[in-house]
Amino acid sequence: MKKIFVLLVAIMLAGCNAQSEQEEVDLSSLSWDDITETASGETVRLYMWGGDPGINSYIDDYAAPALKEAYGVTLERVPLDTNEIIQKLETEKRANQDEGTIDLIWMNGENFKRAKEGELLFGPFTEEIPSYQEFYQADDYAYDFGTATEGYEAPWGKVQFVFNYDAARIDNPPSTLDELESWVKENPGKFTYPEASDFTGNAFVRHVMLGEAVEAEELLGEPYAPLEEEQAAAMWDYLNGIEPDLWRSGETYPSSLEELDRLYSQGEVWMTMGYNEARAESLVRDGIFPETTESFVLEDPGSIGNTHFLSIPYNSPNKEAAMAAIDFLLSPEAQLEKLKPDYWGESSPIDIGSLSEEERAGFEELDRGNTVLDAEVLAESYLPEIDAGYVEWIESEWRNEVAAD
Amino acid sequence: MKKKLFYISCLIFFIVPVLLMLIKSVTTPWRSGVDLDWTSRGWEVVFQDSRVIESMWTTLLIALAVALINLLAGVPIAKALSHRSFPLKNTLEVILLLPLFLPIMAAAMGLHITMIRMGLANTWLGVTIVHLVPTIPYTIKVLKAGYDRIPQDMLSQGRMLKAGVWQAFRTIELPLLIPSIRSSIFLAVTISAGQYVLTAIIGGGTVLTMPMIYYPFLQSADDTVMAAFSIAFVLIPAAAIIIAEAAAMLVAGRSFMKRRGEV
Repeated sequence: MKKIFVLLVAIMLAGCNAQSEQEEVDLSSLSWDDITETASGETVRLYMWGGDPGINSYIDDYAAPALKEAYGVTLERVPLDTNEIIQKLETEKRANQDEGTIDLIWMNGENFKRAKEGELLFGPFTEEIPSYQEFYQADDYAYDFGTATEGYEAPWGKVQFVFNYDAARIDNPPSTLDELESWVKENPGKFTYPEASDFTGNAFVRHVMLGEAVEAEELLGEPYAPLEEEQAAAMWDYLNGIEPDLWRSGETYPSSLEELDRLYSQGEVWMTMGYNEARAESLVRDGIFPETTESFVLEDPGSIGNTHFLSIPYNSPNKEAAMAAIDFLLSPEAQLEKLKPDYWGESSPIDIGSLSEEERAGFEELDRGNTVLDAEVLAESYLPEIDAGYVEWIESEWRNEVAAD
Repeated sequence: MKKKLFYISCLIFFIVPVLLMLIKSVTTPWRSGVDLDWTSRGWEVVFQDSRVIESMWTTLLIALAVALINLLAGVPIAKALSHRSFPLKNTLEVILLLPLFLPIMAAAMGLHITMIRMGLANTWLGVTIVHLVPTIPYTIKVLKAGYDRIPQDMLSQGRMLKAGVWQAFRTIELPLLIPSIRSSIFLAVTISAGQYVLTAIIGGGTVLTMPMIYYPFLQSADDTVMAAFSIAFVLIPAAAIIIAEAAAMLVAGRSFMKRRGEV
């Protein structure tokens, strides 16, 4: 017993030693050349959700070898849900572990808020990233769901909310909330949306909120403030109004987007929805969605879009290499590859105006696939995200106002 | 009649679902009005991540280590609970079951801090230890039931014939316990191999087990890939059982073989 105790103490002491050796990276005294020099030969571990074969192969098959060539940095993708990543960092912070295992995190919105408030992030670092400086409009990415980014995360991708429908069954998809309402009434049982606790379901309800309760302009860039009672009543009235004509008469809702997609895939409902305007492309290609699937957005109130970002944790063991990786992943070359439907097919937050003519042509002429709407249609209907506080409010109120009665 | 019923229920509850899953893994998702198409995509996605094979080995080794520790700890505890009487025995039995009622996330967070301090976070040893939380209660329960079936007289007889503790265990207890040991290995292995949250938090992504790669794919409507992953996953407990049986044969020798014929 005594021996075991001594052993445990020894292990603990060893752990403490390892922690105090942590080097501090002082960005102000480092030039980009210094950074890339240190980065070369290092390994960067990118922790990210791993449930999409297209995204995974973009990282494994394209980004990892290309980054190796550009900076001599090895990129290793570690599949882990964002919630668990933040959880892990929070505990490491509490245990004062300064030498972690994560170098890069992919996240946005609520997770970023939690990470930033918990001081789990390294930075501000975006000022140091050459491709961010050159190709991105910093003003566009000053806020992430209402939380100031302040250089703690670099924009990696951009998605916009679209509805997917089966063109074999629907000739003219609705273009406003009112039209959607009458469509639902004419086609009972053929529409539903995921519960408000689901990421996508919540976004659908936010569209109703912006259409029925408040004007989007009033909320943009503003912190969360409770809605007036009549405003809130208007949006719940809308949702309760369509409820009897939803799938299964609205007695139950799909608990996740995956369930709604499955209903759509089986032809039970005729519409589904989701962030990423190009998401239907691979689902159609793989035979999960019908070949006649197309997309639409609501012109009124519009379509909410958001950006997702890359961050470096406070205890990343290879911060320089992580910055080199971010510089590469934000470069026009890597962003164009990401836009191609073969891999990920996702839109780029890059400022097209800052690119050379040749690069710009690459972005503009790329065919993203039949299910993806034209860039102008998407741009016209674009609405930025509102404060993350509304997400929580909708989650708790929707249950009482819509699901319960 | 009884036998017929057994075969029919086997067919309905085990064989048909497995067959369906096998077919699903090589066809495009099923939809009314659309013809089925064969596809190798499901299996391509499974092996797209070059670390899948490696992760299956990691999962298997951790699961076997968990099963072994379970038996080493479970047998003496089960014997004490079954054949000895001491104060507060029932209370102790309940306490040993409690980890099963604890939300797994709460356990993971509390243990994570301890693991970091002990230097066991992000190591396979840490993951193995943390997998004991959801497995040991079952092992104790199963083995205790096994010991309950061994009459005290039989153990006393062995002692009267001057058998040592080890000899008594090998020649009397072990052969009689084999069915319980087999069940507890099976339980420990399948539970350990299926852990996502505990492995994710304590292993921190460094210890890549099969669920780390497989679970994110459950969040999609892609039945083909899910079916392929599920079948690949079944290989792990199957392999573990074969290894455990082989090891048991080596340890228990011929008595085990004979027992097996009778059970």
